[in-house]
Amino acid sequence: MRSPRATRICKRESGAALLIAIFALLLISVVAIALVVSAGTDNALAGNYRTSASAYYAALAGLEEARGRLYGNNPNYINKTVSNFVPTPYGPPLPLTNVLYIINPAGSETVAPTDLSNPATNPDTEYQNEFGGPPPTSATQINSVSPVPSSPALPGQSFKWVRINAVTESALGLDVNSDGSTDPTTLLYFDPARTDTFGNPRPSLIVPAAQPTPPTTAVQALEITSLAVLPNGSRRMLQYVVAPAIASPRFVASGSTLDLSFPAALTLAGNNANFQGPGTSSFYINGQDQCAGSTQMVTAIGTVNGALSSSSLTNINDDPSNYPGGPPRVGGPPPPPTTPSFGDVSSLVRPDWQTPSGLDAVVQNITKGADVVLSGPVNGNTGLTPLAMSASNPITVVVNGDLDLTSWHGVGYGILLVTGTLKYDPDATWEGLVLVIGQGQFISTKAGTGGIDGAVFIAQTRDIAGNLLSTLGPATFSQGAAGPNSGRGIYYNSCLVRSAQGPLTYKVLSFREIPLTN
Amino acid sequence: MLARERAELGFSILELMVAMAIFLVLCGAMFGLLQVSQQKYSSETQLSGAVQDARLALDQIVRDFNVSGYPSLEMFSSQPTLPVTYALGPVAWSPNYPSAVCTIGTGGGGSCTTPGDYDLILETRLGTDPSVSWVRYQLISTTLYRGVVQKSSTDPATATSGSGVMVPFLANVVNAVNPNGSPQPIFRYTCDTPGGPIACASSAAGLANSPLNIRDVDVTLIVATPQRDMQTQVVKFVELNGRGHRSNPTN
Repeated sequence: MRSPRATRICKRESGAALLIAIFALLLISVVAIALVVSAGTDNALAGNYRTSASAYYAALAGLEEARGRLYGNNPNYINKTVSNFVPTPYGPPLPLTNVLYIINPAGSETVAPTDLSNPATNPDTEYQNEFGGPPPTSATQINSVSPVPSSPALPGQSFKWVRINAVTESALGLDVNSDGSTDPTTLLYFDPARTDTFGNPRPSLIVPAAQPTPPTTAVQALEITSLAVLPNGSRRMLQYVVAPAIASPRFVASGSTLDLSFPAALTLAGNNANFQGPGTSSFYINGQDQCAGSTQMVTAIGTVNGALSSSSLTNINDDPSNYPGGPPRVGGPPPPPTTPSFGDVSSLVRPDWQTPSGLDAVVQNITKGADVVLSGPVNGNTGLTPLAMSASNPITVVVNGDLDLTSWHGVGYGILLVTGTLKYDPDATWEGLVLVIGQGQFISTKAGTGGIDGAVFIAQTRDIAGNLLSTLGPATFSQGAAGPNSGRGIYYNSCLVRSAQGPLTYKVLSFREIPLTN
Repeated sequence: MLARERAELGFSILELMVAMAIFLVLCGAMFGLLQVSQQKYSSETQLSGAVQDARLALDQIVRDFNVSGYPSLEMFSSQPTLPVTYALGPVAWSPNYPSAVCTIGTGGGGSCTTPGDYDLILETRLGTDPSVSWVRYQLISTTLYRGVVQKSSTDPATATSGSGVMVPFLANVVNAVNPNGSPQPIFRYTCDTPGGPIACASSAAGLANSPLNIRDVDVTLIVATPQRDMQTQVVKFVELNGRGHRSNPTN
């Protein structure tokens, strides 16, 4: 009797369990579906934003690849692939007909910027907007250094092409000289040394009146345009206008190419500049180029916009043979060294390196491109010792304030720019350029056996309170250690001067986004 | 015996009650759990919504700043007669625009009414428009507004204050009334000085404290969720930081 009853009860209760289970499942399903649907909307929203931003940064990656490959030290320097594409500053300009594309196809995709007939291969329609015709089919095409990886798991940059070309007023759509028309043929230059009617620096793009002879300080401006297209169709186009950044005081004669040399082993700016040597036999200011194989010579102690003070002349004439060098000159074979060698070298110095405001702009430009910027006062042991500099890796160090090299026994390589007082200790050696622009004080009272190989430029552009002077103050160089050990002094070396400045970098003059119609 | 078995064919009221009671208890427990996660979900949605909105806004501001200042005066060898042709700098200011610059301060200091902690007017070309526009970001109460108007000879702050110019851009921005501490400026500016870039408002910037010298702008957005968290009854915040870097011209 027991057993059939138990079976029947089980049968009945299984129906209730099923009902309960179905109800519960239904409830859970509704909640789960609602959750999934709303999470899906959120994902779609984030996805759109992501691709739009990705396209922007991919185009920016293209611009930066092109700008980087204009830089001579880059292992993928464009001129290594396409000889003589990147023009030498002050040399013949890049003509409008020379156009270069860096293309970056994904996998087996075809990217043909010059083929306007096929929208699928990402044609350069912007060229037509800028120059009124299709891109030249003769345009050089080289591959990107970081192609899109074939594995989709590692999405790389996805710009399609970057164009580098010379630029005109009509290409930019800007009336650069405000003459009422946009010139379609004259190449645009950038003149970093321009001044306005009040003599203040006013660097700008220029339309040279007569080509190919732009002002001697002007360098050609180039245009870099980058298109990025993402697999989902997001497109962005960005554009730079760039020009080489020059950090050399050397005046370039019209028609000649850039010369990174310095006008003197020691250049002192301003009238009544002070020079005090220690008067020891081991101390030289030597204008004979120490670069191997060079027979060149510069003035040992040059002045800019003024002459040395009378006490300086007495000091120099006490030891004439310790200051050998050549007279100021622009070219020609070197004459025999004269002793002592000193004099005005203004004719060899760019105009913007001869005024406080111009030099101030130079300081700012060097600071912006510096590897290290230290706030003074800085001690050599704490400030310079940690820096990884070597003959093969010269760096640019800017000290914004005073630098005290006392008891620093190291060797520095590259450019040392000090805006305050440089307290030099001849135990330290610097291979490259020492610029003391600001307070213009180079002082040493210590003993040592080190020296400076390269060149030194000293200018006083600011008063003690830090206000910009209207004319250059007297620069000061004083090395007055007692005893025979007061350093080797300064030996001019054109190789170290050149390597300290490094190859040219390209400064961005403008950055804009070009709206795309589709 | 037979009669009793027949009576057991249907559910007894007791069995139904027990089944219902078990079902209700189970359902109650499940809904209780679900409500907790639903509240959590709702507050997390609000928070991620706030992050998303703030991120979009931040990205827009940063990218607007990056391309602002185009075309700069460096693109012209002689200053164009029409101010609408060029951008004087990436940032327009008030008062005395464009004849004299003002100084940037924080916490209401400085002589600039804009740019300020919660107010920034960018000057640049937008899209296909060949004219230069002013793009203003301004925090009013807890809403960040954005407005675009073509550059003209009027004061930029006046020009952008016209009716219908400023439209709500991001809601629940609590930088000015930061309940978690002191007010946080949305915009903090770095100026180019002879010694390198430093904060415009710091005394070390000296004469370089000018809207024309702005190199970078640090953008901080603190956005609150629209509603309180259902479990903890507190308002949640997200803080996002970004930096716009001037490119017209760069170094």
